[in-house]
Amino acid sequence: MANFDIQLTVNGRQVSQSVSPHLRLLDFLREELHWTGSKEGCGAGECGSCSVFVDGVLMKSCLMPVAKAQDTIIETIEGLEEQGKLNVLQQAFQKTGASQCGYCIPGMMMAATAALRANPHAGREEIKERLGGNICRCTGYQKIFEATELARDVMNGTLPDDLLKQENDEGPFIGSNSFRIDTSSKVTGSLKYAGDMVMPQMLHMQVLRSPYPHAEILEINTSAAEAMAGVEAVVTCNDVPGIDGFGVFTDDQPVLARGKVRYVGEAIAAVAAEDLVTAKEALKKIKVRYQQLPVITKPEDAIKTGATVIHEDVPDNIVMHIPIRKGNVDKVMAESDHVIEDTYYTQPVEHAYLEPEAGLAYLDADGTLVIQSPSQNITHHRHKLAKILDLPINRVRMIMSAVGGGFGGKEDMHYQGIMALAVLKCRRPIRYVFTREESIIASAKRHPFIIKYQLGLSRDGHIQASRIHMLSDAGAYNCSSEGVMRKAAILAAGPYAIENLIVDAIGVYTNNTPSGAMRTFGAMQSQFATECHLDLCAEKLKMDPVELRLMNFLKEGDETHTRQKLGSVSMLEVFNSALELADWEAGISNSRGSTRSDLGNPGNRPPCTLGAREFPQETVSAGQSA
Amino acid sequence: MNAPLRKSVRQKRGRGVAACWYGIARTATIDRAGAWAELDDGGTAKIITGVTEIGEGILTVLAQIAADELGIKPQDVTIGDNDTARSPEAAHAGATRQTYMIGNAVALACREARKRLIKELAQEWEISEDDIVCSNGMISTLDKTRCITISEAVELCKNRGVVPVGSGSFTANHTGLDPQNGSGSPWQAYVYGAQVAEVDVDTETGEVQVLGVWAAHDVGRAVNPQGVEGQIEGGVVMAVGQTLMEDYKQVDGYPSTMNLAKYILPTSLDVPEVSSVIIEDPDPLSPLGVKGIGEPSMIPTAPAIINAIYDAVGVRIHSLPATPEKVLAALREKRDSADSVEKSAKSI
Repeated sequence: MANFDIQLTVNGRQVSQSVSPHLRLLDFLREELHWTGSKEGCGAGECGSCSVFVDGVLMKSCLMPVAKAQDTIIETIEGLEEQGKLNVLQQAFQKTGASQCGYCIPGMMMAATAALRANPHAGREEIKERLGGNICRCTGYQKIFEATELARDVMNGTLPDDLLKQENDEGPFIGSNSFRIDTSSKVTGSLKYAGDMVMPQMLHMQVLRSPYPHAEILEINTSAAEAMAGVEAVVTCNDVPGIDGFGVFTDDQPVLARGKVRYVGEAIAAVAAEDLVTAKEALKKIKVRYQQLPVITKPEDAIKTGATVIHEDVPDNIVMHIPIRKGNVDKVMAESDHVIEDTYYTQPVEHAYLEPEAGLAYLDADGTLVIQSPSQNITHHRHKLAKILDLPINRVRMIMSAVGGGFGGKEDMHYQGIMALAVLKCRRPIRYVFTREESIIASAKRHPFIIKYQLGLSRDGHIQASRIHMLSDAGAYNCSSEGVMRKAAILAAGPYAIENLIVDAIGVYTNNTPSGAMRTFGAMQSQFATECHLDLCAEKLKMDPVELRLMNFLKEGDETHTRQKLGSVSMLEVFNSALELADWEAGISNSRGSTRSDLGNPGNRPPCTLGAREFPQETVSAGQSA
Repeated sequence: MNAPLRKSVRQKRGRGVAACWYGIARTATIDRAGAWAELDDGGTAKIITGVTEIGEGILTVLAQIAADELGIKPQDVTIGDNDTARSPEAAHAGATRQTYMIGNAVALACREARKRLIKELAQEWEISEDDIVCSNGMISTLDKTRCITISEAVELCKNRGVVPVGSGSFTANHTGLDPQNGSGSPWQAYVYGAQVAEVDVDTETGEVQVLGVWAAHDVGRAVNPQGVEGQIEGGVVMAVGQTLMEDYKQVDGYPSTMNLAKYILPTSLDVPEVSSVIIEDPDPLSPLGVKGIGEPSMIPTAPAIINAIYDAVGVRIHSLPATPEKVLAALREKRDSADSVEKSAKSI
């Protein structure tokens, strides 16, 4: 398609340029004009990170063809500052600590600006509704609401603007709400994430991924792709000079599939080309012949005798089994007044950091390989890469770029190895930016668990014995599974004193998307079962679930389930503080009926309802006005 | 035409509680982190460490720690972070370890740099090193008879031929687990948490809304309380997502929730109001007493919600997420079994 000429105004500057019609407004702003403040989080209008103003209207720039922006006035996050200073809303985000990773913040700032432009007196419920098209994965939104309200009140003159200042400028600073040192770069859009970076001579990388959950690779033919104009390099596992394999605990995953694919989305080959379109076209010309293999998708099937083996060196498909044993469970369980059993299930979960994986790789002047990426563990990645590339460790330099959310999902070295192979082959800088779809299928998930729980209790509610059996789907590769099983097992029985205990955490290979590190590393799954099961036990014993916990908590000097003697234990103080904060009313669950008075107290939001909503206007008492 | 249902008939409220515990830093293996510090010209400081800011605010935490250790302000601290060719190893962002591991390493590095500065000053002033203190950009004798800015002190130190630099390495002595019975000391610092959740359950649609969460967490010592709250609020909301809506689905190994239209995340309209209280039970085994909050903040939320659903409507959901379909099915099952109990009672 032929280019066309576009005229528009961006952040007060007139732009006149010839552009390719396939670009979206977001691509034009970021790639052609290098206004990289607006971020791409999903490419489908779901997350709002790319929100900008088009003629004053809040729009998702990933959904807008650039041609539609002809003769418009565009405002992005970079246009919000006033005379080089943070505006009131930006200062309010700083004051309330409303930005964490910062990746959603440009879009969020635009949406909050739009909310206050539409109604300078918007109340919290209206603000929430107006921010409903913008996803934040870090903050839980609360401080974003607070920031928007604070800005509203300062702009309306109902609160003084010195509330935007830092509370403590004298020290000591430990214990005070010092402003985040990175906020201003996040609320102005000036912070560069890996996908925002460019270098002269930079190539673009794309990766061919497995369409099958389990298949033997009979042949990879890259010759047609390599012959294309604009293609600088095609890499496969044959380009690995050293010892192939990465993982957090064992190196069971090849940089690019070697002889076999074990899950849908596994990387097979990569292309580095002059532009993204050429790289994508070249992927289509790589011919792979597969022989499909039987697929295992359930962990209970993976451990059956005769099950298909997923990794040849692990014939039983068991990635890791962590046992904990203490006391005499069989005897004490049999003697317990109550034995209560149930089974709990948790699902796989996507990290959904707003910043999809991205990286920029190049050779330093002295030939050192450099990779800038939002890696959560560059120390570990350097070790792995040096081994894979057969380079001295100081010839591999990993630089952490700003991380747009991680939650454990950026601990795995899923793509840095591929980038390294391509850079060493064509000796030019290479950038690789995942799409949201690619990020979701290629990266590890939270481990799903099946947890069989048996608890023996005395008549008055003391825990006598505990038997916890956990089977978890580790997916196609180990990633962090070994550590996740360990943490799940150690913490499974919860902060309770238990003399007799059997815990097993077993992670197994399947042909599902690999499971890996995710916030709590197995501990939320195992303790989910414990805390649900304790309430079930309270129900069976006709007890207050609070009482049941109070009589079983670990105390100072107690031994843990792994027989570690504990020092100070704050459990009781913490628990009582939560109850006090919530105005908890004692009683047996689901039995108190209309006599109770603990529901609907302050600290709740109003429930959402269907249908048109009328928002209460924010009214401020006269005394507050300046 | 029927009158619309009264809200109270259809909407049921309930509350649930759950507790949690968590270990700080790497599990069942020794953990370590390193940092370098330099008191720089103009009363500023450079801290170099392989820290990983993933949004939790660790750079700010380290700046606050360095500021207090060196007697300057957080904004005067420049942090050179994660570059394997330029900064000492501090390892990964995970295991709720960075404030504990790297915070303490930075404190130790700053103490060494400060000691080097004070030693030169003590010789210059011909007094004991113990009689010199730094705070608020000033360095003075205990009796305040001599007082200069830190900027002047650094200049004085350098004029004596010494650059006030320091390094720190912090170790957490964890032991591996016995392969048979799992015994061992996987962490030296533990934290505890508890949360109450209040839910509204629509008995006609099965929809659950979490309206309020009250959270208490021990963090050892809160370096930046607002940042701790941010971690609690973010953790709670991530857990609300897992408890009610998020589900990565695969059919025969083929992912079917490949984008954010299919994989549903909590938005501003789904989140509860979160109230937090921070408990400080300082860690006795480390210089600062800090522990951590990033991961444990999300552990009690899911069971507190599930227990609240039971309190509201008397059904227990055993598998996450507690979708409207599952809640409705459980309500139907409860109703059916109540009916059959009633029928069998009548037939007697």
